[in-house]
Amino acid sequence: MIPWLVQGVVGLAMLVVIALLVGNLVRNLTAAGLLLSWRWLGQPASFDVAESLIPFDAAMPYWRALVVGLVNSLRAIVVGLVGATLLGTAVGMTAYSGNGLVRRLGRIYVEVIRNIPLLLQLLFWYFVVFLSFGNGTEALQIPGVVLAKSGLYLAWFAEGWSWQGPQLVNGIWQAPWRFSVEFAALLTGLITYTGAFVAEVVRGGIAAVPRGQWEAATSLGLHWSQSMRSVVLPQALPVIIPGLNSQYISLAKNSALAVAVGYADLYSVAETTLNQTGRALEVFLLLLGAYLVIDLLISAVMNGLNQLVQIRER
Amino acid sequence: MTTPSISSAQAPAATGPWMIEAIGVQKRYPNGFHALRGVDLRVRRGEVVVIMGPSGSGKSTFIRTFNALEEFQEGSITIDGTALSNDLRNIDLIRCETGMVFQQFNLFPHLTVLQNLCLAPVLVRKRRRSEVERQATALLERVGIAEQASKYPGQLSGGQQQRVAIARSLCMEPRILLFDEPTSALDPEMVGEVLEVMKGLAADGMTMVVVTHEMGFAREVAHRVVLMSEGRIVEEAPPSTFFTNPQHERSRQFLAQIL
Amino acid sequence: MLSHPALKAIRRELFASRTDGLISLGLLALIGASLLGLLRWAFLQAQWVVIQANSTLFAVGRYPLDQQWRLWLLVALLAMASGLSWGLLRAIPRADRSGVLWPLNDRIALALLAFLASWAPAALGLSVPLQARWWLITALLLAIRWSAGRWGRRLPPRLLKLVPLIWPLLYLLGMALISGGLGLVRVPPSEWGGLLLTVLMASFAILASFPLGVLMALGRRSELPLLRWGSVVYIEFVRGAPLITLLFLGQNILGFMLPGGLAPDRVWRAAWVLTFFCGAYVAEAVRAGLASVPAGQQEAARSLGLTVPQALQQVVLPQALRIALPATVGQFISLLQDTTLLSLIGLLELLGTARTVMANPDFLGLTAEVYLTLAVLFWCCCAALGLGSRALERRLDPTHSPA
Repeated sequence: MIPWLVQGVVGLAMLVVIALLVGNLVRNLTAAGLLLSWRWLGQPASFDVAESLIPFDAAMPYWRALVVGLVNSLRAIVVGLVGATLLGTAVGMTAYSGNGLVRRLGRIYVEVIRNIPLLLQLLFWYFVVFLSFGNGTEALQIPGVVLAKSGLYLAWFAEGWSWQGPQLVNGIWQAPWRFSVEFAALLTGLITYTGAFVAEVVRGGIAAVPRGQWEAATSLGLHWSQSMRSVVLPQALPVIIPGLNSQYISLAKNSALAVAVGYADLYSVAETTLNQTGRALEVFLLLLGAYLVIDLLISAVMNGLNQLVQIRER
Repeated sequence: MTTPSISSAQAPAATGPWMIEAIGVQKRYPNGFHALRGVDLRVRRGEVVVIMGPSGSGKSTFIRTFNALEEFQEGSITIDGTALSNDLRNIDLIRCETGMVFQQFNLFPHLTVLQNLCLAPVLVRKRRRSEVERQATALLERVGIAEQASKYPGQLSGGQQQRVAIARSLCMEPRILLFDEPTSALDPEMVGEVLEVMKGLAADGMTMVVVTHEMGFAREVAHRVVLMSEGRIVEEAPPSTFFTNPQHERSRQFLAQIL
Repeated sequence: MLSHPALKAIRRELFASRTDGLISLGLLALIGASLLGLLRWAFLQAQWVVIQANSTLFAVGRYPLDQQWRLWLLVALLAMASGLSWGLLRAIPRADRSGVLWPLNDRIALALLAFLASWAPAALGLSVPLQARWWLITALLLAIRWSAGRWGRRLPPRLLKLVPLIWPLLYLLGMALISGGLGLVRVPPSEWGGLLLTVLMASFAILASFPLGVLMALGRRSELPLLRWGSVVYIEFVRGAPLITLLFLGQNILGFMLPGGLAPDRVWRAAWVLTFFCGAYVAEAVRAGLASVPAGQQEAARSLGLTVPQALQQVVLPQALRIALPATVGQFISLLQDTTLLSLIGLLELLGTARTVMANPDFLGLTAEVYLTLAVLFWCCCAALGLGSRALERRLDPTHSPA
C-alpha cells in the first residue's frame, strides 16, 4: 500500500513537471511562431558546407545539408573506430610485453591521454600541429605523406595499379588521397584519445584470462605473439567486446566535437541551421534521433559480434 | 548401526506452547515451480527440529517463509502467536523475534565483528550502544571469538564467520533461531566448532529449526527429525526412530544415500 | 662487468633478445630526440609571456578587480580548512592507520607545496606583494597542519566530530563570497571566468550529480514500474546524446520550457545540464555497485529486523558505493574534462578564456604555449583525483585493512 502511494505521488509529480515544461514550451514557441514544423527542411540552405562526399551547394535544401553533415560524421566515426581499435589493441598488448621500455611507454601514453580533455587535444592537434605547416614546399614531407595547410596528402594506387605519391604541380599538392586538415586533426585527436581507453579495455580483458593459459601456451612451445594471438586474445574477447562497445559509443558522441576544429559534421551543420532558421526544437530532435540511431547501430553490431565470440567459445 | 543414545545436549522433550505453527503452506514461484505443496509443521518452545531432505525438496524455502524472506500463497504461519500476513508491521515484529543463520554467513563485510553484532539492536530495538556492546562482547565470548571483535569478517575463517553470524542473531535476543544449512559452506575441519555452539544453544532451551545434513547433530540434539521431499513432509519422527526405523520408502532411500 | 643489480635489471628489461635490444635502442633514441626538442622549445623558443601577462585572466576571468579580495579570503579559508583536516587526520590514529605524524607521503606533499609556493608565483611573474600573499597562504596551511597534528589529540571528541562539517559550510560560504549578496557587491555569473569558473562548474556538478545518480540508480532497481521506467528513460536519454547537444538544449530550448523570469542565466543553465548529464553516468556506476552486493546481505539485514530503508542505508549502500567508487570518480574526472565544452557555448571557463587570450593580437600564434599550460593543469588535477580515489579505495577495503 505504502509503496503504491509513493509511486502515485512520484507519478503525479512527474506528470505535473512534464505538463508544465511542455505546456510552457508550446505556449512560448507558439508566441515566437516557432511551433513544431518540418516544412523549413525543404527550403534552400543558402550556406555552403566545407567538405562533402555527396554533391552539395548552397541552393540545395536544409535536409540535404544535414545529410551531408551526417555522412561526414559517419565517415569520421567509422575511420575513427578502426583507427582507435588498431592503436588501442597495440597499446593494450604492450602492457604484457617483455620489454620494460615498451611497457612503460604504453602506460605513460594511456595516463597522459586520459587525463587531458579531448577538446583541448583536438584544438592542440588542429592549431598547433596541423596548421603549423605551410603550403607548397613548406609542407611537411615524408615519403608517401605530405602535410600542408591545404590538406593531408597520402600515396595510394592510381590508375593502372601504379603506386603514386603526392606531387607538387604548379605549387599545389596533388595525390590520390587528400583529406582536409580539419578531418585529419579530428581523426588524430579521436583516435589517440579513444585509443587510450581501448588500450585499457584490451589490457583488462587480457588480465581476465587466467595465468595458467599463458603458462600452458608457453609450455607447448608457443612464442609470445603466438600465445597472444591464438590462445589469450580469443579468450579475452568476450570480456573486451562489451567494453569496446561503450568506448565506440563515446567515440561516436565525441565526434560532435568536430565543430571545434571546423569540420562540417552533423552537429556543426545543425548549429549553422539553427542560427539561420531559429528552429531549436526541431534541430535538437533531429540531432538526438541521429545520435541515438548511431548508438543503437554500434550496440547492435557489437552485440552480434559478442554472440559470435561466445558461441565460438563453447 | 548403533542405537542412538540420548546425549546430555538434548533437553527433555518440550511441552511448552507452540512457537511455530505452519499449516498447509503452499508456495509457487513466478516461473510456475511448485516449491511447497501443503506443508504442516508445529514447533514447541524449547524444541529443536531438524529438517532434512534432498536438494530441491523445498526445505530451505520452507524455513525462509517463517521470517517472510519467501512469500507463500496458501496456508497460514503463526510465529509465537503473531500471524504472518502482508502487514509490514507484523513482518518486522516477527523478524525481530526470529533469528536466521545462513549458509553463506551473510556477515556485513564493511563492518567489524562488533559492529555486525550491534547494528540491529541499536537501530531496531533502539537500545543504548554501550549496553549492546557489553552484551555483544559477552556473546562473542560465548561463541569463543571474543578476541576477534575489532576484525572485519573478511579476515576470519569460515567457521569463525559462522559463529559471528550466530552471535549476531543472538544479539537481537530472538525467541526462535532458524538455521539454513549452517555448515554446508564450511571446510570439514570447521564444522565441529559451529555445531558445538549450536549444541550449547539447544541445551540452553532455545527453540531451533535447523536445515542440515549433519546426522550426528540430528541424533544428538534434535527432538524431532523431519524429512522433506518434493515440497512435502514425508516423515516426521524422533531421531531414535527416524534413523533406525524409518516408516517410509522415501526416507529409507534418502538415509541410504547419505549414510 | 654486468654485475651491478641495476645493470642486470636494465639488461633483462630492455635487452633480453636482439630484437628487444634494437627496439629499445630505437625507442630510446626517439625519446631522447623528442625530449631534447621539447626542452629546447620550452626554454629557448616558447614565449611564456602569454601566460605571465594573463595569469589573472586565467585564474578568475573578468572578476572585478576591487572585489578580488573575496577570492583571496576564500583561498586563505580553504588553506586553513585543508591544514586542519590534514593535521587531524594524522593526529587521530585509527585501528587501521599508523599513528605516524609525518608519514613519507606527507613529507613528499610538504616538499611539493613548498616548491610550488616558491616557484609558481615567481614563474608567473607576479608582483612581489602578490607573491608574498601566496607564501603567506602556504605558510598558514602548513602552520595549521603542524599545530593540528601536534595538539589535535587534545581537542574534545565532540568538537572533532564537527570538523568534517567545515567543508559543506565552507562551500556555501564560498558560493556566497563569490556571488555576493548579504551586504557584499553582487558579482553576476557572467563575470566569473577562468579557473574559478571551471572549478565552480565542476564542483557544483559533482556535488549535485552524486545524490541524483544514487537516487536514479535506486529508482532503476525499484520494483515500482513508474519509478523504474522513469529512471530508465532519463538515464538512457542522457547517455544516448553527446554532451554538446545537451548543452545546446540547455542554451536554446530550456528558456522556452520554463516560465518567463524563472529560467536561470546561461552559466547556471550549463551547470544544471552538466549535473543532469553526470548524474546519469553516476547512476550507471552505482547500479553496477548495487548489483554486485549479494542478495544475502539484504536478506540478512531484513531477517535481523532492519526496515528496507535501514537495510539500504546501513548495509547495502555502503558496500555498493565502495564498489562503485572507482567508476564514479572516473565519471567525475571526465566531468572535470567536459567543462571545457562550455567554451563551445560561449562561456569563459579556462579554455574559453584561453581562446580569447589567443585571439588578442598581442599574443597571436602563441597557441602551443597556452594549450600546453592548460593540458598540464588539467592533467595534474585529473591525475590527483585518480590518485585520491585509489587511496580512498584502499582505505575503505575491509579485507585488506591491517588489523
